[in-house]
Amino acid sequence: MIELINVTKKFGTFTAVDDLTLTVKAGEFFGFLGPNGAGKTTTIKMITGLFAPTSGSVRVNGIDVQAEPIEAKKRLAYIPDQPFLYDKLSGREFLYFVGGLYRVDKTVMQERIKEIIDQFEIGSWVDRRTEDYSQGMRQRISIAAALVHRPKTIVIDEPMVGLDPRSAKIVRHTLRSQVKSGTTILMSTHSLPVAEELCDRIGIINDGRLVFCDTQEQLQADKAKYDGKFESVFLEVTKQHG
Amino acid sequence: MNPLLHIAAYKLRAFVKSAFDLRPAVLIRGLGSMLVFGAFAYGAFRLSFTLTEFILEQTRAGLFLYHQFISMMLFVFFVAVNLGNIIVSYSTLYRSPEVAYLMTKPVPFVQVFLLKFLDNFLYSSGTLFLIGFMVLLGYGTYFRHEWHFFIAVMLVVLVPFMFLSASLAVLVLMAIMKAAGRFGFRTVMGGLFVVYALIIGVFFQYSNPVALVERVQHARLTAETDIAELLPGFLAYLPNQWVADFLHALARGEGARALGSAGILLGAAVAVFLVVIFVAKRFYYRSWMVSLQVQSLALAPYNPHRLHLIDFRRGHGFAPQVEVLLKKELFSFLREPSQWIHFIVMIVLTGLFVISVSNLNLRLRVVDVQILTYLVLFAFGGFMTCSLALRFVFPMIGLEGKQFWVLRGGPVDLRKVYFLKFAIGFVVVLFIAECIAFASNIPFVRFSGRRPLLLWFGVYEAFWISLAVVSMNLGFGAVFANYNEKNPIRAASSQGATLTFLFTLFFLLVHIGIVLLPLVDYFTSLFHFTRFDLTRVVVPGTALAVVSMLVSVFALAVGLRAARRDF
Repeated sequence: MIELINVTKKFGTFTAVDDLTLTVKAGEFFGFLGPNGAGKTTTIKMITGLFAPTSGSVRVNGIDVQAEPIEAKKRLAYIPDQPFLYDKLSGREFLYFVGGLYRVDKTVMQERIKEIIDQFEIGSWVDRRTEDYSQGMRQRISIAAALVHRPKTIVIDEPMVGLDPRSAKIVRHTLRSQVKSGTTILMSTHSLPVAEELCDRIGIINDGRLVFCDTQEQLQADKAKYDGKFESVFLEVTKQHG
Repeated sequence: MNPLLHIAAYKLRAFVKSAFDLRPAVLIRGLGSMLVFGAFAYGAFRLSFTLTEFILEQTRAGLFLYHQFISMMLFVFFVAVNLGNIIVSYSTLYRSPEVAYLMTKPVPFVQVFLLKFLDNFLYSSGTLFLIGFMVLLGYGTYFRHEWHFFIAVMLVVLVPFMFLSASLAVLVLMAIMKAAGRFGFRTVMGGLFVVYALIIGVFFQYSNPVALVERVQHARLTAETDIAELLPGFLAYLPNQWVADFLHALARGEGARALGSAGILLGAAVAVFLVVIFVAKRFYYRSWMVSLQVQSLALAPYNPHRLHLIDFRRGHGFAPQVEVLLKKELFSFLREPSQWIHFIVMIVLTGLFVISVSNLNLRLRVVDVQILTYLVLFAFGGFMTCSLALRFVFPMIGLEGKQFWVLRGGPVDLRKVYFLKFAIGFVVVLFIAECIAFASNIPFVRFSGRRPLLLWFGVYEAFWISLAVVSMNLGFGAVFANYNEKNPIRAASSQGATLTFLFTLFFLLVHIGIVLLPLVDYFTSLFHFTRFDLTRVVVPGTALAVVSMLVSVFALAVGLRAARRDF
């Protein structure tokens, strides 16, 4: 579960996120959309503790990220939009590295990493150094690493960038099955079809404010008001507040 | 337009934009930097002036011997610039994404080479030029040289001297890359270290400054021609000797001889540069291709079935987070050639220093000379400690790079990451600093009839210096961290790094100020055969510990705060 309560983030005089209140329920797949520079990544960085909010509070599974960052992060997995990895480690070493950070027992970790390598079909190159990886390979390792400690909540920024169709399918399937098993996911994306396909609820942020937040059922009704396309809804709500 | 000039114009434009950034925060930072650089430059000037005055007037070493000392210092400088350029050029000429990009464009390979070579030379030599010029100013002011002396020396001596060193470095580098394709990178580098160690060893074996002074005193020589007879013949072929000869000739008012020395140096610099262009034209692209091959060999996948001694899959008895963080640091270091190569180079240089210093035979029973010798050895050891910390500790936080999100987003207390890096840096730097301190003090123990006081005090000092210097480098490294810079050498030669280096040198000066009085007392009592009261080292010893701790706590706190900034 993720809760943002009156969260504001300012950079000097610029307000990137403006009094944002949002709750993503346990076991929910939430799509977080918005135009470039709307405040999606800033919001995500506040959830994951990379940015401190100027005001307001962020809770992950009931734990305040600013007050108890370690406890909050133990239950969280973050997959950034740019999957920078430690260049000198191999993919497998990186998985072990992340597992160690989350204090996963070594025997358990070995089993999980084996499963993950099979699940993501990365066995043929996982022992090469990550500096030799393509964008898609890095993305797959980054997503795979997020699952090593079996997180209760996943925050994922642009998961499909650079993935080939087969990898994208694996990722979509993995994320859906995580939600089925009770994991909460907040996913930021520019891909409207992906959001429509995967998410239970979709929020759109524009100029740092949440301008749209509906379930799939309500979204269908909204689409019907325009030309039946989600794209038109998106353009309309972001235009009104743009 | 010539592609070289076209690219250079754009690089210049980018440089001017960043250099003349008029935002208030940048201006204030720039002003602060200028003040620190200015103070340091003045310090270098005063030191050079005072040292020249002291050696020529107090120790009465004479012009010829003094310039021989300068020649020896210049030799160390030449080798340091040369080795530094080999390492930096490997990163910029063979591993830079910019080179890979330009190689895909219709730009002649030799022009890509020249662009990176000159870029490299200018980028990494700025501070050295500043220091060199200020030292020269101090030296020249003592001799009351006219203003045109300084300009002439900069243009026809200092620049060609460093340029010659850098040109030889890229020639060696291209040879390394060619040989690496056949014999393997590690083998070639190993061979190169042996060759350089031999060169330095042979040089000091045959031109040991202390041995020279002893021979001069022993033979009671005074005429310069007689002293010159004691010098080995090969010195006449070395650039450091040409510079020393030039300065010596000018000091004696022998303009024609000075012109001759400068002519040889300039001619050699131009000739070697022409050879560099010729070799680069024929060979740079091929050697670049070899480097790709060498790098891809280094990237060969591990056999997942083979469990290495240090392996992420294996437990080593540490807490899980500490264990993976340690292994990550170790692998990141050992798998980055510019890191371990530079480390070995510095260890070799330190080793040579330690060996040659521990064999020094001090004989002169003059307080001033002994103090000067002690301070020179102390300063050199301190300088090496500061350089080591600057090169390897300063970039530690910045090198986390964009992948810092893994730690910042994970359930890791950042203090743990920070202090683990501190512990690694401190242990390594402390070990080397203690070796240097031990070796530097052995001659004094021998000289004083096996009284170990200076030795133990040196070991004590090395501990506090290491603590403060490592803390400053880690802390200020976090403050000035550039997470976009992946090249550790460039990170360690950035403006923030240079400022940090100056701060550490200033700390060394403060340190010298604290220990100077008891040192004078110690040598005076030694030569006057009076008892030295041990309590006289208690106050400076305590002051040293307090100052070092305060500096350390301040630097670490500032750095931790900076590392916790929004990422």
